[in-house]
Amino acid sequence: MRFSGILALLLEGAGYTLLVTVSCVITGLVTGLGIVALRRLFGKGVARLLALYTYVFRGIPVLVLLFIVFFGLPGLGIRPSPLVSMMLSLGLVCGAYLAEVFRGALDAVDPHEIIAAEVMGLSRLQVILSIEFPQMLRLAVPGMLNEFTTVLKYSPFGYTVGIPEITKQAMALASTTLRGIEIYTAVGVLYFGIYQLLCLLMRMIERKFRVPGFATQ
Amino acid sequence: MALLEIKDLVKRFDGRTVLNGVTFELNEGQTKVIMGPSGCGKSTLLRCLNRLLEPDGGQIFFRGEDVALPDTDIRQHRQRIGFVFQQFALYRHLTVLENITLGLRKLRRLSTAAADKKAAYQLERMEMGAHRLKYPAHLSVGQKQRVAIARALAMDPAVLFFDEPTSALDPLMSLEVAAVINQLRSENVTMLCVTHDVSLARHVTDRVIFLDDGQVKAEDSAEQLLTTHADPRIRQFFGQPAALK
Repeated sequence: MRFSGILALLLEGAGYTLLVTVSCVITGLVTGLGIVALRRLFGKGVARLLALYTYVFRGIPVLVLLFIVFFGLPGLGIRPSPLVSMMLSLGLVCGAYLAEVFRGALDAVDPHEIIAAEVMGLSRLQVILSIEFPQMLRLAVPGMLNEFTTVLKYSPFGYTVGIPEITKQAMALASTTLRGIEIYTAVGVLYFGIYQLLCLLMRMIERKFRVPGFATQ
Repeated sequence: MALLEIKDLVKRFDGRTVLNGVTFELNEGQTKVIMGPSGCGKSTLLRCLNRLLEPDGGQIFFRGEDVALPDTDIRQHRQRIGFVFQQFALYRHLTVLENITLGLRKLRRLSTAAADKKAAYQLERMEMGAHRLKYPAHLSVGQKQRVAIARALAMDPAVLFFDEPTSALDPLMSLEVAAVINQLRSENVTMLCVTHDVSLARHVTDRVIFLDDGQVKAEDSAEQLLTTHADPRIRQFFGQPAALK
């Protein structure tokens, strides 16, 4: 097999890697933001439940969680697809970590600004959406990039549930062509390329929403 | 007619009584300054009046309606009060203009164009029109205070509360703020100002309330209270010799 053919198959795998990464990042973002918003909106009881969720999901290996979802749930009559299984395992773990990143960033929002917004008559949700989240997200950029990178690096677990992402393609190609060194080097380069793409995307977002004298400068 | 009528207001923190039966009135168009030693409950009083803190007793009548009752629409009540903070509390991620239009868009439901127009008017009134696209980090403290006042005024409040408006400013900037408050006073804006600044009190009002031990100990004209009041403790607080008659 010519190397261009190998590369084409690896690029096809890269598409799946991107799909898994983006799906899990979106799941993580929605979960993380949801946890932070619920914590701010409701009392200590809800906050304790959410703290338990983040505590448990940060403590279980992603692979074990993936197996519980993909191989365990069918026993209860629920058959999630491989991508959904990744979102319910890696995505939710990412959400638990992001909730912690957001919590730290939220602590850096000036409490006087929050009080000023409440005093003006804004509702709790309006304060969260207009004051707390916009500042929190700007402050959380470095932590978010770190988490997104972790998701990318855990995405090869998709291989275990049959998603033909880069690593699965590479293993299949290496076993049939015996050109492991070239193939896995190409895999490393591809992952690094995707990582750089993520960094570039985050830098663009950061630049677009940059506020002089605030946050990450 | 009294815009605000406070009767026997009580506030406790962990069993410690901070406000112990505060009673006074604020009429429409009037400016009153509340002074007193640190920890006497001045800021607590302001925060109880807009229900940022829950009073433990007493009544707060706002245009005749008791707003200390549990079923009061607190958000509605707060929208009638403009609040200017000691720390300015400008939203750092928003421009000067956006700081002012936020409340107009979210609470008054104005369109962006209408909110911008109203905000621009208030900024011109505070001589801050040229700075509307700047972020708070690029403003001097005096400019921040002017923006904070413009933000409060844009909501057309029935009364403006100032919580130590000059404590973060140098004497020159304090005079600027005093001039702004005086300008508003000449426009009949109702104001209640908590301050330590004797000079500010002299400049902006003819009525000073002296708060001590959680109670109104005296309410008098600024001149009387600050210089020749009968109570030696009050004279002493304002730096006058106790023996002065």
